[in-house]
Amino acid sequence: MRAPSSHEVKLGEPLLAVEEVSLTFGGVRALTGVSFDIRKGEIRAIIGPNGAGKTSMLNVINGFYRPQAGRITFKGEERRAMRPFAAARGGIARTFQNLALFRGMTTLDNIMAGRALKMHSNFFWQLIRHGPALKEEVEHRHRVEEIIDFLEIAALRKIPVGRLPYGLQKRVELGRALAMEPDLLLLDEPMAGMNLEEKEDMSRFILDVNQQYGTTIALIEHDMGVVMDLSDRVVVLEYGRKIADATPNEVKRDKNVIRAYLGEPHGVSV
Amino acid sequence: MHILYQIFVDPFVQMGTAPDLLVQTLWDGLVAGVLYALIALGFVLIFKASGVFNFAQGIMVVFAALTLVGLHEHGVPAFLALGLTVVVMFVLAFGVERLVLRPLVNQSEIILFMATFGLTYFLIGLGQLVFGGDPKVMIARDLYLPSGAIEFKRFGGFVSVQKIDVAAVIIASIMVAGLAVFFQRTRIGRALRAVADSHQAALSVGISLEQIWVIVWFAAGIVALTTGIMWGARSEVSFSLQIIALKALPVLILGGFTSIPGAIVGGLIIGIGEKLGEFYWGPLLGGGIESWLAYVIALGFLIFRPQGLFGERLIERI
Amino acid sequence: MPSSDLGLDTLPKLLIHNAATIGGRPAIRHKNLGIWQTWTWEEMLEEICAFSVGMAEIGLKRGDHFAIIGSNRPRLYWAICAGQALGAVPVPIYSDAVAEEMAYVLAHAEVKLAVVEDQEQVDKIVALSERLPQLARVIYDEPRGLKDYDHTRLIAFEDVQRLGRKKLADDPARLRQWEAEVAAGKGSDIGIILYTSGTTGRSKGVMLTYENAIVSARNANAFDRLGANEEVIAYLPMAWIGDHIFSYVQSYAAGYCVSCPETPETVLEDRREIGTTYAFAPPRVYENLLTLTMVQMADASALKRRMFDFFIAFARRWGEKILNGEKVPLAARLVYRLGDVLVYGPLKNRFGLSRIRVAYTAGEAIGPEIFRFYRALGINLKQLYGQTEASVYVTAQPDGEIDAETVGKASPDVEIKIADSGEVLFRSPGVFAGYYKDPEKTAEVRTADGWVHTGDAGFFDPKTGHLKIIDRAKDVGRLNDGTLFAPKYIENKLKFYPNIREAVAIGAGRDFVCVMLNIDMTAVGSWAERNNVVYGSYQELAGHPLVYDMIAKHVDEVNRSLADEEVMAGAQIRRFLVLHKELDPDDGELTRTQKIRRGFIGERYAPLVEALYGGVNAAQISTLVTFEDGHQGTISARVAISDMRPYAARAAKMERAA
Repeated sequence: MRAPSSHEVKLGEPLLAVEEVSLTFGGVRALTGVSFDIRKGEIRAIIGPNGAGKTSMLNVINGFYRPQAGRITFKGEERRAMRPFAAARGGIARTFQNLALFRGMTTLDNIMAGRALKMHSNFFWQLIRHGPALKEEVEHRHRVEEIIDFLEIAALRKIPVGRLPYGLQKRVELGRALAMEPDLLLLDEPMAGMNLEEKEDMSRFILDVNQQYGTTIALIEHDMGVVMDLSDRVVVLEYGRKIADATPNEVKRDKNVIRAYLGEPHGVSV
Repeated sequence: MHILYQIFVDPFVQMGTAPDLLVQTLWDGLVAGVLYALIALGFVLIFKASGVFNFAQGIMVVFAALTLVGLHEHGVPAFLALGLTVVVMFVLAFGVERLVLRPLVNQSEIILFMATFGLTYFLIGLGQLVFGGDPKVMIARDLYLPSGAIEFKRFGGFVSVQKIDVAAVIIASIMVAGLAVFFQRTRIGRALRAVADSHQAALSVGISLEQIWVIVWFAAGIVALTTGIMWGARSEVSFSLQIIALKALPVLILGGFTSIPGAIVGGLIIGIGEKLGEFYWGPLLGGGIESWLAYVIALGFLIFRPQGLFGERLIERI
Repeated sequence: MPSSDLGLDTLPKLLIHNAATIGGRPAIRHKNLGIWQTWTWEEMLEEICAFSVGMAEIGLKRGDHFAIIGSNRPRLYWAICAGQALGAVPVPIYSDAVAEEMAYVLAHAEVKLAVVEDQEQVDKIVALSERLPQLARVIYDEPRGLKDYDHTRLIAFEDVQRLGRKKLADDPARLRQWEAEVAAGKGSDIGIILYTSGTTGRSKGVMLTYENAIVSARNANAFDRLGANEEVIAYLPMAWIGDHIFSYVQSYAAGYCVSCPETPETVLEDRREIGTTYAFAPPRVYENLLTLTMVQMADASALKRRMFDFFIAFARRWGEKILNGEKVPLAARLVYRLGDVLVYGPLKNRFGLSRIRVAYTAGEAIGPEIFRFYRALGINLKQLYGQTEASVYVTAQPDGEIDAETVGKASPDVEIKIADSGEVLFRSPGVFAGYYKDPEKTAEVRTADGWVHTGDAGFFDPKTGHLKIIDRAKDVGRLNDGTLFAPKYIENKLKFYPNIREAVAIGAGRDFVCVMLNIDMTAVGSWAERNNVVYGSYQELAGHPLVYDMIAKHVDEVNRSLADEEVMAGAQIRRFLVLHKELDPDDGELTRTQKIRRGFIGERYAPLVEALYGGVNAAQISTLVTFEDGHQGTISARVAISDMRPYAARAAKMERAA
């Protein structure tokens, strides 16, 4: 049930474009006139000090918030305010800073839930679990097992996610997003709260997802080291405005960015 | 001393000496239990999926039954009336989702609860307007529901079983089994469980909350209709039937607000417990146990195991 | 079993024999993507033959050495046999070895070709490639992440097989040629070189002939009546002699099926699913299982705990007797049966040991409590004692003669004698052919008439005729006052407590005995939660005063038990400390098989040892640690030291009283 796209976006072309987007909550201007694009196949980092509006930006892309002004173009089509489930159906998958997992379900069920959109077969067949429904179920299970293998969480298959440590929960959430086979993957602080080893694992997974599956990724991240290592291009927000939009190296040396983070003209230490 | 004997020994002696009465009581308890379970089921469905305690469930039972009977009174053949009532329940579900749930989507639970209050009185008013306030008779015979009783000479005595009760137990069991399979196996069932677990997560995987809510309220409506038919066939269809809904509360406390098997087990425990209590211990306490025993049991559970027998104990990792 | 006398003296010959006689039976399994895949002996022969021909195509020849690096995977086991079929010699290497270790072995063994599991291993080898000029090809099993690597030396397992299959298809005589190569192998050929993780010095390459391995395996199969129906999980390192014998040679000899788990983390779950009948694990594994269960039991409801305690106590009384086949009153049997349904059965199921016929433990002494616990549940846990140089088996406990304190009687065809120094020597058909490129060391260890020095001190228990091992021969020393000091003996007593994971006893040439301890994170962490002890890291927990108090109680009990033995009474522990970090093979403190490296630890923790004997109450220490990828860091801590009061020797007391 994909939203039809007027043309298939080629590698390197803008998959998502945000134009002059402004967002206000009862007096607070979360975003003001922000414009940038995300090219197909790239890893785009969105960074900025706390309160810069990064999560709000993701929420706008994802459909949780409706901007008061501006346009969003996805896969060549301009979208009106889209509701989250429609964004999901359109090929955008999302992870959350504070996790949005089905806490009562096992790891396997959580990732299977990501296949919800792809299950097509008839209600009746599903009830009796036969014929095309069974075949589809097996295929979905196979895909999910591949993801479990990819993320190295085989041992957690049957454990209710509520019982997993934070770092592994984040991995399961990533798995669920991957199960949707999205065109665009939005990651909200995927490394938050992780130790060095976990961060390295997560970075490796993100890179692999981008390289192996070709998934376009937008991620919000605070760890500058991660941003430098992973991203192709970086957008920097401050108080809801874009203050830089370039490659990681250029952004690192940008005076505005340095000032935003440190308030003094020093180098940003990585 | 004597009082201890009366509480702990005598009733069991009575049970032993007149097994036919015991069986009769157990059967009556079972029937009541099954029907309580049905009502509780309606609450569980809605609570599980939309987090709302649907005060209007009781009136939905009445409303469904009234619609059925009312249509029939106007000359619609029984099964067609049944089909139309199903459609009406769908429209109701759709309407509730559009007009009540959607506007109030981010409000607190208490506000949603109040909204179901409003819904209750709306349905009462609508029902009275359309069908009149007099009690009616359920069109049991037209629906091919059996009547009369079967009598067994068994267990050293005499047991009488109402055929309609047998039908009620069978139909309720089928309904429950059907719902269980539905939840476990189908895509929609999975989606329902997802929505019940986390709205945000469900939205992220592309599940439409609105669609699910319509389906759930519709399912609750079907359960209400079945309940209405069964209860109505055993007594009559009137607005006092909605009081039955109050009996669901102890069942939910016992079984957990979010568990379908809990509703069944809870219902059976309350139903059988009530009847046994009334028959064997009632005389000790001057009778009338039935009206409050369920609530006392529920109170006990609230103290010792508030999530009920089957409710979810969310395991929080600190 | 027929296979013994048909001239089947090499592994590839056994493979062909099995494919011909029991070809349809399962030979090996692997859980992948959630489902178990099985290969029969016939199918396995085809896979191995294809890979073997492929390896020949890319240049592997008779006499070449090839490395196997990875966790237990069917393809790696196939590679071993495939190479052996060509007359090449496999050299398995520990997959969690740091680059340095790996480089040493690869160079020393002159490895021409390596078969590795995945990207992680490939990366390690690529990083070492300048130091390994003779390493021509690297074959990998799991292609993930390797797509863009330089493939001049790298080649995928499947591609090697493809080469092989193509050659077999194109050239009808090739198969006959391959079979002839197999037939040319002899029992006296070197079948494998296994590098032992020495507790001192560099690892040595133990060369074993086919005969060494196969005769040992056949004897072992006969000893425990293992047949083609056994189910075994292969989860211990492939570079370790135990896994090689249990999961490979014995399997080929008996025809039983070996299952490879999905990942190291799922071993318990997989073991449960397969229902293993024959198991082997170092004591640590059994200890951990038990600790985990006790920890979970402590959190269970009072009713469950009561039931558990009752039935376990009951099992301790009668269980072992029932297992040994002794006479037991009917009433007791019935209660035991009930216990089986309620407690023992579910417990065994949780351990994955429901269908176990024989479970071995070896490598370290096992706590008698733990040993008896498993036996009480009806699990036939037995001890064996062995070495790589023996192709495993030196002694093993026969059924019905089980004791926690002994290691059993000499295994079939094994002779044992005790030297004057107390050292144990053995001679058997399993005795190794020598250390690769180290004839001096070989001559040191193996006498001219074939007796091997085990390096362990022991004696035969007069009552049972079983061998008892005290300690490493060179570690048995004396305190300054002449008291016998057997550090292992003391350490084992300490490690029997679930809270203590590791212990290092010091005392040779000193006035009294001191110990350095590691706490067990799982057990103590759970204790901490229950007793409201707050901690943020292992280091904090290890240094906590309440933890010290708890440990002191254990040390005190050990002292009391030492006081009971005349010989040991003078070796009671006077002072102890809890180390701030766990001893780790990656830091060189433990061997790959989790044995402590005394000398190294003594050097590295010298400041602490000084403090222990210097009478101070605390010491500052900074240790260098190595992470798995090789980079290093430091951990500093201030470690507290506790004093203990020794008990008066009981025996002496009684004498005076008399």
